[in-house]
Amino acid sequence: MSGDHIHPEPTSFLKKHVFSVDHKVIAKQFLWFGLIWLLVGGVMAMMIRWQLANPGSPVPVIGGLLFPRTGGVIDPASYNMLFTMHGTIMIFLGLTPVLIGAFGNWCIPLMIGARDMIFPLLNMLSFWTVALGGAVGFYSLFVPLGATEAGWTGYPTLSTTVGTQGDGETLWAVAVFLIGASSIMGGINYITTIIRLRAPGMKWSDMPLTVWGLFFTAVLNVLFLPVIGSAMLLLIMDRVFGTSFYVPASIMSGASGGDPILYQHLFWIFGHPEVYILILPAWGIVADLLSFFARKPAFGYKVTVGAMFAVTVLSAVVYGHHMFTTGMYAMLGESFMLLTMIISVPGEILFFNWLHTIWRGSLRLTTSMLFALGVIFVFGLGGLTGLYLATISTDIFLHDTYFVVGHFHLTMAASALFGAFGATYFFFPKMFGRMMSEKLGKLHFWLTIVPLTVVFCTMFISGYGGMPRRYYDHTSADYLVPLQHLNTITTHSAFLLGAAQLIFAWNFIRSRWWGPKASDNPWEVGTLDWQMPTPVPHYNFKEIPVVKTGPHEFSHPKLGDRDWIPQTEELPA
Amino acid sequence: MNALRSLFSFPTKAVAAVLATPLALGLLSAGATAQDVAKRWGPTDPASTFGEDFQYLFWLITTLVSVSFAIVCVLLLIPVLRDRAKPGKKAHYDHGSSLHDKRFTAVVSLIVFVVLDAWVLVVAMKDLREGYWNIPAPDDEKTYKVEVLAQQWAWNFRATGADGEFGTADDILSTNTLVVPKDRPVSLNLTSKDVIHAFFLPDMRVKRDANPGAVNIAWFQPVVDGEFDILCAELCGYAHYQMHGKLQVLEKGVFDEWEQEASRLAVAAHDAEDTEAHWAWEWQE
Amino acid sequence: MNTLTLVLAGAALSTGLAFPSDPASDEDGHGSAALPPTPTHVRAPHDVVLEVTEDTWLKAPGEDWFEAQAEAQPGRFEYVEELVEIDGDYEAGWRDNEGEFEYRYDPEEDELAYWQFVSAEQLTRGRRDYVQFCASCHGFDGAGYGRSAQHLRPPPRNFTKPAFKFSKVASSQLPSDEALVRLVKRGLDGTPMLPWALSDEQLGDIVQYVKSLSPPGRGWRDIYAEVGQIVESGDDPWAGRKAEALERGEEVYHGTARCHSCHPGYVTPARFTEITGGEVREDFTYPLAKATDKYDVDGHPVLLLPPDFTWHDIRSGTTPLDLFETIASGIGGTAMPQWKGSLPDEDIWAMAHYVHDLIENYKDKPVERSRFMSGLRRGN
Repeated sequence: MSGDHIHPEPTSFLKKHVFSVDHKVIAKQFLWFGLIWLLVGGVMAMMIRWQLANPGSPVPVIGGLLFPRTGGVIDPASYNMLFTMHGTIMIFLGLTPVLIGAFGNWCIPLMIGARDMIFPLLNMLSFWTVALGGAVGFYSLFVPLGATEAGWTGYPTLSTTVGTQGDGETLWAVAVFLIGASSIMGGINYITTIIRLRAPGMKWSDMPLTVWGLFFTAVLNVLFLPVIGSAMLLLIMDRVFGTSFYVPASIMSGASGGDPILYQHLFWIFGHPEVYILILPAWGIVADLLSFFARKPAFGYKVTVGAMFAVTVLSAVVYGHHMFTTGMYAMLGESFMLLTMIISVPGEILFFNWLHTIWRGSLRLTTSMLFALGVIFVFGLGGLTGLYLATISTDIFLHDTYFVVGHFHLTMAASALFGAFGATYFFFPKMFGRMMSEKLGKLHFWLTIVPLTVVFCTMFISGYGGMPRRYYDHTSADYLVPLQHLNTITTHSAFLLGAAQLIFAWNFIRSRWWGPKASDNPWEVGTLDWQMPTPVPHYNFKEIPVVKTGPHEFSHPKLGDRDWIPQTEELPA
Repeated sequence: MNALRSLFSFPTKAVAAVLATPLALGLLSAGATAQDVAKRWGPTDPASTFGEDFQYLFWLITTLVSVSFAIVCVLLLIPVLRDRAKPGKKAHYDHGSSLHDKRFTAVVSLIVFVVLDAWVLVVAMKDLREGYWNIPAPDDEKTYKVEVLAQQWAWNFRATGADGEFGTADDILSTNTLVVPKDRPVSLNLTSKDVIHAFFLPDMRVKRDANPGAVNIAWFQPVVDGEFDILCAELCGYAHYQMHGKLQVLEKGVFDEWEQEASRLAVAAHDAEDTEAHWAWEWQE
Repeated sequence: MNTLTLVLAGAALSTGLAFPSDPASDEDGHGSAALPPTPTHVRAPHDVVLEVTEDTWLKAPGEDWFEAQAEAQPGRFEYVEELVEIDGDYEAGWRDNEGEFEYRYDPEEDELAYWQFVSAEQLTRGRRDYVQFCASCHGFDGAGYGRSAQHLRPPPRNFTKPAFKFSKVASSQLPSDEALVRLVKRGLDGTPMLPWALSDEQLGDIVQYVKSLSPPGRGWRDIYAEVGQIVESGDDPWAGRKAEALERGEEVYHGTARCHSCHPGYVTPARFTEITGGEVREDFTYPLAKATDKYDVDGHPVLLLPPDFTWHDIRSGTTPLDLFETIASGIGGTAMPQWKGSLPDEDIWAMAHYVHDLIENYKDKPVERSRFMSGLRRGN
């Protein structure tokens, strides 16, 4: 096994920083890659919000540059392109690389005491595959007719040549396929590494919850990314070779046809687990951070793991709730409604365990801790509003309105992003050897959570008002004109939210090169990753540590002055 | 913790500049959207028999969700305010793995399942059986049947006209305008020529996809007369946002007269030889 | 229940597609003797061309237009005595200092004509916008058989047989760029032709592309074609005198113009006799003259009813100005004649007001309409 041998550190720049097989370098590559895409996706979001609050007026500053033919105004086609690419980029190129790629790569070997991933080369390939996918997606913005305009869900027949021409949609499908392939490589690597390379003495129940979250995510990745991959392949066949997997006979010139609903099934079999693919690592990180900064053991560790496992299993059997208006058989719909609602039980268990963890703790409100607490807040909002959408008789009205937009942004975007921010502030000292500014961090937190809540809660009101999503201009229909003021509120808060992220960017870049030097264990936690020197040496552990304690042994009564203990030390009897 | 204290100076100006940007953008957009229109903070009053059930269930869920969220917030705020780190203070050492804790978890789970899920589920199932899935019998005289053929970017409607049969000369055809009677169940057969659309009547609390290649079914019963908007709720291309029509609900007497007249005009406009213009399908239920 | 891929009256959607082949277009005298290809509403091919490689010249407006433009945009168009050299002689003409219009001489025709130069780049931009926004109905080749056009009556315009209905220019003329842009911007009520919220530059490109779909020797590729401007409306002569306008409009509608011979009449028999000075007509039940003669829509005989203003959607706009322009310019290809010239503008305006009033008061108002129409029948 590769973890057993220590190869000399590569010396050439290319081997060391670009085509590195070192999980730490790959983690940083994923991090930078993801953050840049988050910026791109974020700018797109700002443009979408601008258009919605000011339909048909030119985008200030960048409009003239991006949309020269319309004098800076976003035209309907470009608008569709923007929200499609915003969704695709944020999910596949922003959050996935940061949460799973960067922190998965960083945390798993260090936290379980391994020298590297079990398949380092596959690991490198995983990054370069997603990079290629990103490049294909980015390139699609510049082909004739621009990038795809069929929405990030890419429903046929709109996504076949019936609805979209040019190469944009085809390239989009190729990009998603590549990104999916990358996630599968990563997933196989994570699962095998966690199973095989845990340090001696590390039982399954000694793993930090971050690792558990990443483990379940990896399982979902390996199981469900192949489904979206096959859906994309069929779509590419339909577009390029003129097959008709998704095009019904009624709009074919020939006799045989397919079924557009097939795609919806394939997409959501993947699409619903994808929500949990993004949120499970965040849950794991949050559960750890809450324990670390409350200086208290994670409450009900095994129950938490069990709840995460239950969510993982359930995520595979609830996808039908995305299709209640498609024309699903009534009994099937009701089954999906019941199954979806059952998710609230493990969800509630997680919440109570987190809240129990901080109860009677000794809370250090660092920026990471604030973001972890923020996840409880935003995921509370997002998760609970899922109840409206799980219930068929309310979903029929709310489906495809801004209610849905608010709901999934709070769950899979805001919560996952908060998890990512918390993790960034937390792991930064070990990754880059410097501290991020706590003052700026806290400012970033408050300037994020307040406008974010306003943005997405206003969307709930818009959605309850009946405002459909993916509309270029909500003032076009009489019914929607009285709701337009909500768009203005959302947009203004969104601008503030967007601007607040610049504080993070500034903090990140400045701290990366000019921040104060970090000590080896600034947060005083016991997991293996914080027990090694900063910067982490090549091949991590000169000698593989032996684990003797759980990851969350804080404030043990017999510990004396110190309220934490490394996992390599034994608890005093 | 030493490292934490040695922070570099606070860049006040940079932060101020960052925050000024959205304010400036906000001012720009405030000028562009200054409109004197009535504002609304929710949907219009329900105009169909589904309306009350929907409102009731929506607010039931809102109440349950609000209470749950309030509990979460309180349990979040108490430790944040009370249990902050102080010198010499140690956290309570508790793994939460005792039998007592497990029992607590089980009880809370049960409460959540019964109150949050089962309650809503029971109400929803009742609503569905009496409402959305209680599709009116097509043979019933009272049922007003409409075939909806969606396309990029318009709604084509076909009603049977006076003879109650589809595919005859007196079928009432219209684009983007649908006229229906008040207090009679309106049954819809939906399909599409090209991409997926969704037939959305916000005032009636109805939404159903129109899929190409298959017929989808929906129904509603208007209880208020007047004019309402028809929207498309499934991304269908560039002019998705412009794909709307008008629903006109007429009182019984007025409607019957309208139907007679519409049929008469339809017969006049019918061209038996122009087969390309004809479309209709066997009623699906 | 219904995710089933239903047979969908399998016939209804998939076999109702073929038009009866149409011998009429042979006699048109243009093109080859071959029948026009059977229109099929098929899914888009996966190899739609997005590039136009050749520059082209399209018929431009005549002298009058240049004179008007020279006034409107001083410095752009210049009249030059010696513009081009043809066989040693210099011909006079207008020069466009911005280079969009060129002067070309066609020796075979022995006539001077203005052609608008359209670059391949502009056509490519237009083509791409066309593919995105227009092709679903008008088809990728512009022939009007887009996938979403099936069953539409009247069918979408076929740009390869350049004739336009609602562009508000005299029906014998080709519409000017301004007229086409305005039409696309406004859309056609009651049809899937939407008011397109595109920029002027996009619309300009789309219009040039659409014009370039004219076959050789026809439409904008015809040297004899006339490009007409939107019909002139002048000021509303009835401003402030609405009641008089309505009365005059009623008289013209049922009298001089005899609109009721195709459209319904909207007066009582007694009033009709009064207007016409003795003619008797008991029933205006629509349609008075059932349109047995079909209109040739792109080679296919199609029954198109003249609208009842109290019932049908009026495609080309319902403001008095819209109606004036429609009545004044006529609707090409249909029985609706061009009234400008045969009636004084004042009367056309009066009719516009009258029709506008009918629409305002009775369209989409079933109660009022029913009362009005039955009142006419009862004679009060």
